[in-house]
Amino acid sequence: MEDWRVYKHPILEFERGKEVTLYLDGKPMKAFENETILAAMYANGVRVFSRSIKYHRPRGFFCAIGRCSSCMMEVDGVPNVRTCITKVKDGMHLRRQKTFADKFAPFLNLLNLSPLAYNRMFTKPGIIYKPAMKIIRQFTGQGSFSKKIEESGEEIMGIDDEFSTELLIVGGGPAGLSAALEAGQRCDDVIVIDDKEQLGGQLNRQTHMFFSDVKYAAGKRGFKLGKEMVEKISKLKTVRVLPKTNAIAYYPMENKMLMLRSTDRGLMVKAKKYIVAVGAYEKTLLFENNDLPGIYGAGGVQTLLNIYGVKPGKKGLMLGTGNVSLIVAYQLLQAGIGVEAIVAPSFRRVSGYLVHAAKIRRHGVPIITRHTILRALGKQRVTGALITELDEKYRPIEGTEKRLDCDFICMGVGLTPSYDLIQLFNPKMVYSSELGGFVPVRDMQFRFAENAYIAGDCGGVEEATTAVLEGGLAGLYAARSLGYADEEVSAKIDEYEHALEEDRGSPFSSDIKAALQKITVENIEEVIK
Amino acid sequence: MQDEQNAAQRGYSTREELQKSRALPPIEKVKEKRVCIIECTEEIPCNPCVQACKFGAISKEGLCKPGVVDWDVCTGCTQCVAICPGMSIFMQRIEDGKGYVTMPYEFLPEPKIGDKAQLLDRSGKVVGEGRIVNPTYQAKGDAYPRWVVTVEMDDPELSYEVRAIRILE
Ligand SMILES: Cc1cc2nc3c(=O)[nH]c(=O)nc-3n(C[C@H](O)[C@H](O)[C@H](O)COP(=O)(O)OP(=O)(O)OC[C@H]3O[C@@H](n4cnc5c(N)ncnc54)[C@H](O)[C@@H]3O)c2cc1C
Ligand code: FES
Repeated sequence: MEDWRVYKHPILEFERGKEVTLYLDGKPMKAFENETILAAMYANGVRVFSRSIKYHRPRGFFCAIGRCSSCMMEVDGVPNVRTCITKVKDGMHLRRQKTFADKFAPFLNLLNLSPLAYNRMFTKPGIIYKPAMKIIRQFTGQGSFSKKIEESGEEIMGIDDEFSTELLIVGGGPAGLSAALEAGQRCDDVIVIDDKEQLGGQLNRQTHMFFSDVKYAAGKRGFKLGKEMVEKISKLKTVRVLPKTNAIAYYPMENKMLMLRSTDRGLMVKAKKYIVAVGAYEKTLLFENNDLPGIYGAGGVQTLLNIYGVKPGKKGLMLGTGNVSLIVAYQLLQAGIGVEAIVAPSFRRVSGYLVHAAKIRRHGVPIITRHTILRALGKQRVTGALITELDEKYRPIEGTEKRLDCDFICMGVGLTPSYDLIQLFNPKMVYSSELGGFVPVRDMQFRFAENAYIAGDCGGVEEATTAVLEGGLAGLYAARSLGYADEEVSAKIDEYEHALEEDRGSPFSSDIKAALQKITVENIEEVIK
Repeated sequence: MQDEQNAAQRGYSTREELQKSRALPPIEKVKEKRVCIIECTEEIPCNPCVQACKFGAISKEGLCKPGVVDWDVCTGCTQCVAICPGMSIFMQRIEDGKGYVTMPYEFLPEPKIGDKAQLLDRSGKVVGEGRIVNPTYQAKGDAYPRWVVTVEMDDPELSYEVRAIRILE
């Protein structure tokens, strides 16, 4: 079997653990400790993880960071496990869900067993519900627990721990880490949580050097920057770091936040102040066949390739000309993977920095502007793409369709702020296309709710330096309002505010600046009441 | 169509465009010594090159303005090539009828003295073959490990065009 792992890379070294054996639908396959199930499957050439409920379409992965639920499998008898964030263990048994339909998929499609696809059917009378449900689930459902697990009768999650703190920071990306660093040097008791095992957020998958002022991040490779910040924080006795801890709810009446630790332990924390720095997730694009395995988010490809050292394919097509897309294209080339082209509708210019575009142009990758993708080709996985030229009104020009060869398609079409947790604070949410989506109205000190501050991409998608600066500021503002106010704090705040202003001085930031101004108010109390 | 494109649509600036914006050093300088070329023409917030130059040859009016080189002061030390996050700083030299381009290199295989390499221009077109003369691995404090590679080419004119290499194994 072909091994899709990268063993030699110009920048990265992959720390693979002990060799272990997994069983996929009963067949053994090789994996390494530290790999996610997703990475192990990909390394072994497995591309279809499950099938969709209604039309039995093959499902692969998209985001690789536990956000899209496209990668679910049955793991050791537990259905619907997101394989992209679950690490392998020796002897693990994996089962692809609903893939019994593999052979019959076209036939099932014909029949279109759609009524069975709805759990609403056969709910009355009550006596037929249970047996009917069993049959429906067999065919189409999202799986059921194995007998063994059901009989072991494990408790439904309760709250295992409860404590209070001065400041709780949600999200350990550059914004959250920077907030923890600044607040931790001043406050007595700070907690920073992240749902990932490793803190650093987006930084962990960046192998390129960062721009901006050398004082903050520039000239360092992203993943090193994250590590450095985590190390600094670990030296602060005032900061507790809780990885693998997912904030799932906030109760404004009690001012408490509920978290899930390592998927099965409940934790309730009451904090005087909160900083929300949960980042952003990837947008997707609408086109025919866009759900085929082999169509990924650019960030998903970065995770697979730069963290686990597994190739997403042999030759890719990139969609979008933003910095993320351009950077990922370059990273693919570095790992020895082909890039067929970058396709985007942009008329005026590539939307990212010219220097990033130049990096891939000089390695022979064409940037095809004024074009868009019409359809992904292939039945079980991507085998190509059909693109078309666009007229001034972004309508496809007939007769200009062109077929491109590729075995994966990677979308770098922008990020949108994560707002699920933010919304629970009852802020005033507004839509801003410049900032990437829905964002809360905030005041000059980043306060968007009575006790909560916002920082980084979740407040408006920008980049790492602004995330670091905003995070640092949020940490300082929070410390100040917790009573840790002195001249030193004020001076530091001045320094950060000035740096942030300067960093947003480029023409690339002018729209963002204007958009931020629009959603920043003098008095947040008036807005949230 | 391709010709009508400007740099921002194409994804790179041409030699003519760079010449116009005075990014390329005068020929006397290139013949006198190895000097740096900054092919970074947009306003982006970035300044590692300014800090990296021990001789103060690179200046910027503000964090976001493009860097400007003083070719009288530049010693060709390559520190800026090693640190530029945009990989947009190169060095050029013409000597004894041969052209030399120094560039950052982040690919495999690792470069060795004497290696043959395909020469690629700004659009990725192969424009000739050259030899690697002086690869150095720059890993200051291991914040930015990167190879800085100088290639020699027989046609000195090519040193205005070559911006990437593909090492032939
Ligand atoms: C391909 C790519 C290239 C980039 N290049 C550059 C560059 O060259 N220069 C630059 O300055 N910037 C760059 N950026 C942007 C930069 O990485 C981001 O803007 C920055 O990481 C945002 O920081 P953040 O802390 O706001 O969010 P993130 O880094 O996204 O961190 C958020 C963290 O919060 C966690 N989280 C989310 N929800 C919860 C929850 N409910 N409970 C617990 N934890 C949670 C997430 O898992 C994540 O770890 C790039 C981004 C990408 C994708
Ligand atoms: S949740 Fe696993 S790929 Fe998106």
